[in-house]
Amino acid sequence: MRRLLLRLAAIAALSLAAPGLTAGAASRFSIEDYSAPKVKDLYLVIIRDPDAQLMALQNGQADILGDIQRPVDVDRLADDPNVNLSLAAGFHGFFLGFNNRSFPWDRVELRRAAWQALPREQIVRDLFAGYAEPLSTFLPHVSPYYEPSVRAYPYDPDAARRSLADAGWTLDGDGVLVSPDGSRVPAQKLLCPTASVAPTTAELASRAADALSAIGIPTSTEPMDFSAMLSRIDERDFQMYVLAWQMTRDPDSLYALYSSKMDIPGGSNLPGISNPELDAVLNRLRFAPDATTALDAASDAQALLAELAPVAPIYSRYSVSAVRRDWKGVLVTDRVTADNIWSLLSMEPASGPMRPLYLVQEEEPRALNPFTSTSAYDWQVMGLVYDSLIAVDPYTLETIPWLAKSWKVETEDDGDGPHTVLTFLLREGARWHDGRPLTSRDAAFTYEFLMKNKPPRYFDNVDNIARVETPDDATLVVTMKNVSFWHLHRIGGLPILPAHLLERVSDWRSWLPASERHPDDPSLTLMTGSGPFVLREYRPGEYVHLTGNGDFWLGRR
Amino acid sequence: MSYWARRVSGAALVLGMVLALNFALFRMMPGDPVTSVMDPDFSPEARERLRQVYGLDRPLYAQFALYVKSTLSFDFGVSFLTGRPVADELRSRVPNTAALLGTSLLLSASLGTWLGMKAALRRGSLLERCVLWSGALSFSFPSFFVQLVLLMALASALPLFPLRGSLSVPPPEGGWGFALDYVHHLALPVLSLTLLGFGGWAIYVRNLAVKVMGEDFILMARARGLPRRRILLGHVFRTMLPTLLTLLLMSLPGVVSGAVITETVFSLHGVGRFLLEAVTGHDYPAAGAAFFLLSLLTVACNLLADLLYSVVDPRVRLDRSAR
Repeated sequence: MRRLLLRLAAIAALSLAAPGLTAGAASRFSIEDYSAPKVKDLYLVIIRDPDAQLMALQNGQADILGDIQRPVDVDRLADDPNVNLSLAAGFHGFFLGFNNRSFPWDRVELRRAAWQALPREQIVRDLFAGYAEPLSTFLPHVSPYYEPSVRAYPYDPDAARRSLADAGWTLDGDGVLVSPDGSRVPAQKLLCPTASVAPTTAELASRAADALSAIGIPTSTEPMDFSAMLSRIDERDFQMYVLAWQMTRDPDSLYALYSSKMDIPGGSNLPGISNPELDAVLNRLRFAPDATTALDAASDAQALLAELAPVAPIYSRYSVSAVRRDWKGVLVTDRVTADNIWSLLSMEPASGPMRPLYLVQEEEPRALNPFTSTSAYDWQVMGLVYDSLIAVDPYTLETIPWLAKSWKVETEDDGDGPHTVLTFLLREGARWHDGRPLTSRDAAFTYEFLMKNKPPRYFDNVDNIARVETPDDATLVVTMKNVSFWHLHRIGGLPILPAHLLERVSDWRSWLPASERHPDDPSLTLMTGSGPFVLREYRPGEYVHLTGNGDFWLGRR
Repeated sequence: MSYWARRVSGAALVLGMVLALNFALFRMMPGDPVTSVMDPDFSPEARERLRQVYGLDRPLYAQFALYVKSTLSFDFGVSFLTGRPVADELRSRVPNTAALLGTSLLLSASLGTWLGMKAALRRGSLLERCVLWSGALSFSFPSFFVQLVLLMALASALPLFPLRGSLSVPPPEGGWGFALDYVHHLALPVLSLTLLGFGGWAIYVRNLAVKVMGEDFILMARARGLPRRRILLGHVFRTMLPTLLTLLLMSLPGVVSGAVITETVFSLHGVGRFLLEAVTGHDYPAAGAAFFLLSLLTVACNLLADLLYSVVDPRVRLDRSAR
């Protein structure tokens, strides 16, 4: 019965793609409901094998399992009376890409027909047992900027054939499409990873190839090593490919993915779409001065992308998480999994005395270096230790206050052209884990350190900063070189590090703060932040031990 | 030039070639560490900066010179993937891998040799059939299957062993408690690898022993009325020893190259996964260092095997002096 309910939840998540969840939705959420973490000890235990992860959860050796990928595991846990499962839609998107630069994929009617020929619902049903969402848009529905009214192309191969015929395409004696100008569609290769590495993706590619062949586009898969495939795509040496993207809540990633300015070496416009109208809209989106302009541009961009179909969306994967029922205080929404910061702040045993909380870490953190780490497993740790100025509402994914209790986004023009000025007002009473007060100077020092050293991870965040000023201990003013509403997220989302420790860093590339002891307090490491948890020990390959920060600013209001 | 001088200079040449190939082959593979960053929020300029940070913007000869210098000084540079010094990464992983694979190699080899000898001595018996069948079974089962079954049976259904890692969370304090905890955690992975490994040894040793026991000199020893134990240890086993020694020494590099599947199933911090991720993730410093060290160990084991041959088989010495 629980298994059925969970599948129904998956279907319900599809129907949540409604206007009520778009930008501007009223949130039930208030940061004021939270305080310092209740748990004293938090262990992030490294368990790599999915079967071992499940056994640990079911045996009570782990309390939270963050991301369960195999449908069979979800079904198995659904039958466990000691476990609560939750399902969240995210920003994962899987696409079929076409090389728009050359025939036949330079013809928009063919791209639309290909999109229409893909049996997305069946793929989701067969390959993901329903624990994924057929995707028909360029932003997932959980995005605050999702536009529900844009045109989509539901699966209908007959309609695809008709629309091609209406556009003048014909079939030759072999059943292969011939364009209105008499060009026969050449045999197409669809790049995909090998079945031994990514069996689901390989099967999906095979089904897509069959679906395209059925409407007259002779397609076969070309399985290869994933690195080799990325290399071919990067060099634009392909006809078609299948690839997943992990997007963020900000829709300006559409600029990077589809602006013709990004169809350059190293750019992310892989399909090579080039359309002046689309470029103008994406430019408006990228450099929107305020939220209203951004929302309008995001809607226009989605509508245009649906018309142009540079790639065909296929599915978006759900994140399924599991928590043992002997814990309470878990926050679950349709957009965040149970292992979120809000859960970790408020979780406590449902009965009995306080005990350590064990969270499964599927891979081990790598460097735990805030300047170089790009791994989600590193940031699962560092996100609990370091604070940023803003946070994200777990219900609406809108920006909410965190270290900054308020902010202003203004456009100024002092003769050098218009530019965005961000003014943050920081909270009183915030302290570093070593007891020193956190001021706007720490934030300014962090930004200046990033501007000076240009770590690749933060290059795009700080490249547009003109100057940083601190009129007083609580005020931070960041002047940008150009205008963009997204500067708020790019700057406000940066982790703030303590200036008194950061000034000792001589080589940011090899800095390993989790492995070195704090100079004044041996119970701490150099990974000293202001966040809700304090890093105590990282034992490579085994676990990360954190303790609740009893002096956390959220509990000192 | 003496025999050993020739062998050592040959080994140095091999290592030099490995050094060059390690540099060239990884760079000839499709893609590079920057290409594999697929992120719409990572601009072309940020990618170029990453290339600079990794030192991939320098000319190839400059990269090669730096690589040779860092390898020969056993510094190995900083891993692209983990951002930690490669030497530190290997130092933290080799002990676990060596303990796991070294112990299981010794146990499999001992158990396999003992069972193989027993089977050879009792040809046609139930024992021989059991050894051959169990050997073939242990040899042919996929490791992940056996290990998952053991994990489910002995760590989950009947929780005799821990599910993961090499230490409890948190580990017990104190030297003995810590050591026992470590042994307890490694017991199941070692058991699984021993079960998977003894069969090959048993069948090999049995076949070798049967062949040696059919030789004329064994018949002669029997005819002279030598005790069975002396025939077995002094003649049969001694004849087999050079071959077994070669097998054992050639297995040694595998002891530090790790076992990817075992490390994954039991969540062990070992070399195997590090090596796999280094190769698939284009982590040139890590992959180059690991393959160089493996080559070094293989060459050293080869030399050691040659040296030990002359200890266990006097004929090898005579042959060399005759040359």
